[in-house]
Amino acid sequence: LPPDGRRTPTILAMGGGGFTAGPADPALDDLVLELAGTPRPRVCLLPTAGGDSEHQIRRYYETFGDRLCEPTHISLFRLGRHPVPLREHLLSQDAIYVGGGSMVNLLAIWKAQGLDLILKEAWEAGILLAGLSAGSMCWFEWGITTSSGRAAPAPGLGFLPGSNSVHHDSEPDRRPVYLEAVKNGAIPPGYAADDGAALIFHGASLHEVVTARDDARAYEVTEDGERALEHRPLAQPKAAAATVPAVAELRRLRLARLAD
Amino acid sequence: MTRPRQILALGGGGFSMEAGNALLDDYALSLTGAECPKVCFLPTASGDADHYIVRFYRAFPAGRSRPSHISLFRRDGGATDLAAHLLAQDLVYVGGGSVISLLGTWSAHGVDLMLRAAWEAGVVMTGLSAGSLCWFDHGMTAFHGESTPVRGMGFLPFSNAVHYDDKPERRAAFLAAIADGLPAGYGTGDGAALHFVGTALAEVVASREKARAYHVTPEGAEVTENELATRFLGAPLAVEPALAA
Repeated sequence: LPPDGRRTPTILAMGGGGFTAGPADPALDDLVLELAGTPRPRVCLLPTAGGDSEHQIRRYYETFGDRLCEPTHISLFRLGRHPVPLREHLLSQDAIYVGGGSMVNLLAIWKAQGLDLILKEAWEAGILLAGLSAGSMCWFEWGITTSSGRAAPAPGLGFLPGSNSVHHDSEPDRRPVYLEAVKNGAIPPGYAADDGAALIFHGASLHEVVTARDDARAYEVTEDGERALEHRPLAQPKAAAATVPAVAELRRLRLARLAD
Repeated sequence: MTRPRQILALGGGGFSMEAGNALLDDYALSLTGAECPKVCFLPTASGDADHYIVRFYRAFPAGRSRPSHISLFRRDGGATDLAAHLLAQDLVYVGGGSVISLLGTWSAHGVDLMLRAAWEAGVVMTGLSAGSLCWFDHGMTAFHGESTPVRGMGFLPFSNAVHYDDKPERRAAFLAAIADGLPAGYGTGDGAALHFVGTALAEVVASREKARAYHVTPEGAEVTENELATRFLGAPLAVEPALAA
């Protein structure tokens, strides 16, 4: 922590990949924990954009259950059966991880339940906000969503100025819609990210671009078109995390707690 | 021929809650007057849970009905005209879950306006739990902790509380909210359903003999709760169905 005890507000905006993707990018999952900034970070998944899909939640625990962290999730669709004090739980995290899905639904549901205000508070308190796809675009003023079946601009929370588009390499419908919307001034300039590429923001400024795949890139998108940004390839992690004794111990503790 | 506006608001029940008891689902189908009704399931309140969608198709197999569903979380590739699809139905069936998430999502996609148009055109609306609360001015939800009022779409100018006999706190919270100024309304138990024609309650029907619904009204500083006459759908009708007061 810096001397004044406050962490820099940080957002990790991933174009795609990480634990929910088919070919997993373990380097991006590790990066979430690294940016969370504590030895055993508390990480909370918000799978809202996917309708709290069991699949996404299971993949999350499979991925982060094998790492040195304290993973939890909040299922807004199952609060009836599993009540969670939303603000208290979210503000006690080191990182909040927002899964992919429908950006329009994500924001509608968050606003209906006051999550937008809680997340702003969390960000300003220095809790890492990480996410991919809808969970990346939501932090910007604008994103390119396919929530209604075809790519179209949609407003985000606006913590970060400008716009964002994701899956820039893998979903060909988004790119022309994004470039055109910026070119004709419908939405402000911003950043596009391929699957496996991630933008790290400190405060409202782009701090660094990192990549977990060889050909993954991020782009600055302006009225004049797109320009690839300098990037730092992440080291590919060893796959042997589960053999770390501390992790094995954590898993035992977690299982014991679940059995209570 | 113009069809009347109809809503069948279940306190709880139907295929979501009463495996093996199809009385309320059959009744909803019968209200359409169609021989093989087109029925569209909206599982939004559950986050479009796969298992829920599968259970819907099991409960409404082709032959009994012409089933479809709309998933607002997975519209990629299926860019159909939602308004036209809803308008072409005989019955819209709204599943349970979080009424707050339901209404937020619908409003973001304009589904609330599409449903109003469909209802006004005579498409029968039904649903349980969140799918029942949503049609009213106000509903009581206990989904996010204590039972509290939330605003619904206001097709029906009343308040509504579901799973009414499930827990005594629900009833107490509803009575307190009515005393506090919530509009008069209905407490509906599991297995009971309110059938509205236009905005008037036409009948209370039930899939269980003991299921009940209540009319709750403010009387000065007091609140009165009157049990409504209920027709059990499983028994043969000996007399004309009792109409609610």
